[in-house]
Amino acid sequence: MSPATITSQLKEKFPEAILDITEFADEKILHIKSQHILLVLTALKSAGYNFLADLTAIDNLTLGGFERFAVSYHLLCHETAERLTVKAYVSEEKPSLPSVESLWKTADWQEREVFDLYGIIFEEHPNLTRIMNPDDYEGYPLRKDYPRLGRKERDDFPVVNRGIRKKKPLE
Amino acid sequence: MNPTEIKSNILTTTLESAINWGRKNSFWPMPFGTACCGIEFMAVLAARTDLSRFGAEAIRFSPRQSDLLIVAGRISIKMMPVLIRIYEQMPEPKWVISMGACASSGGVFDTYSVIQGVDQFIPVDVYVPGCPPRPEGVVEGLMKLQDLVGEEKLSDYSPASDK
Repeated sequence: MSPATITSQLKEKFPEAILDITEFADEKILHIKSQHILLVLTALKSAGYNFLADLTAIDNLTLGGFERFAVSYHLLCHETAERLTVKAYVSEEKPSLPSVESLWKTADWQEREVFDLYGIIFEEHPNLTRIMNPDDYEGYPLRKDYPRLGRKERDDFPVVNRGIRKKKPLE
Repeated sequence: MNPTEIKSNILTTTLESAINWGRKNSFWPMPFGTACCGIEFMAVLAARTDLSRFGAEAIRFSPRQSDLLIVAGRISIKMMPVLIRIYEQMPEPKWVISMGACASSGGVFDTYSVIQGVDQFIPVDVYVPGCPPRPEGVVEGLMKLQDLVGEEKLSDYSPASDK
C-alpha cells in the first residue's frame, strides 16, 4: 500500500485524529492529535509499515506548530521500502500520550529517552524512568527553555579531601 | 672489604630521595578512559612510545592496586561520582594526570552535562593538553610527573592538622 492511499484511507477512518497531511522531500508527514496515536499507528502497522525506525520529539517553542511538543514516529515498510513520518502533538500543560511499546518493543527505550530529555509522559509504558540522566536529576534538558549551561548541576560535587597537606604542584 | 673498594661499592643518599626514586620509576597507572583519549592512551602503551620505558607499564584496572590515575576523556555529571569514588579508593601516595582538553577543561563540550575540568573536585598533578594529545605528549606529561615526584617531601604526606 502506497503512502498516498494509506493516508487518504486514514483520513476517512479517523477524521477527528488527523490535523494535517504535508509532504517534504517526497515523503508524507502525518500530523495527528496525540490521544489517537495508538489507533493510527496500529492501523499503519497492519497496513505494512512494520518497522519503527526512530521515535523522537521536537520542542516547537520557537518553531510554531499545533502544540508545544511534537513526538515524531518514523515508520518504514520493509516490503516496499517506503517511509512515513507521523507527528503527534502534545500540549505543554498535559504532556502525555499513549505508549506504543505494545506495538514495537524498540519504543521502550526510545520513549524513556524522550521522557528523560523532554518530560513527555507515555501512558501505559512498562518502565518510564530516566535512561541517561542520573535518577535524581531535575528538569528536562532538551526543552528549549532549559539553560544550555544547565542549572549548576555540573558544579555540584563534593571536593575530595585527602586529609594530608600537600602543596599544589607547579606553583 | 678492602677500604679502597668502599668508595665504589657504597652509595649514600637520603631516605626521601631513595623512596622518591622508587616511586617515580614504578608508577602503576589506572586509566580512566571515557572517550577518544582512552583510545589514544592505548597507543601510548604500544610499541612506538612504550610506557614501560618509564617503569609505568603495570596498568591496573583496580584502583586499589594503582597509584597514578589517568583521566582520559570527558567526564559527565553521571560519571563524576564514579571518578571521585575511584580516586578515593586509590591508596596514598597517588597522583593524577588529566589527559586531554575535556578532562582538563571540558573541551568543546560546554554543556550542562559535562564537568568543566576534573580539577574542580579531585587534585590534578599534570595536565596534558591536546584533543587528543599525541602519545609523545602523554610521555612528556609522565616525565613531568616524575620530576614532581622526585621533589616531593615525606612530610607532604603527614596528616593535615586542621583545615
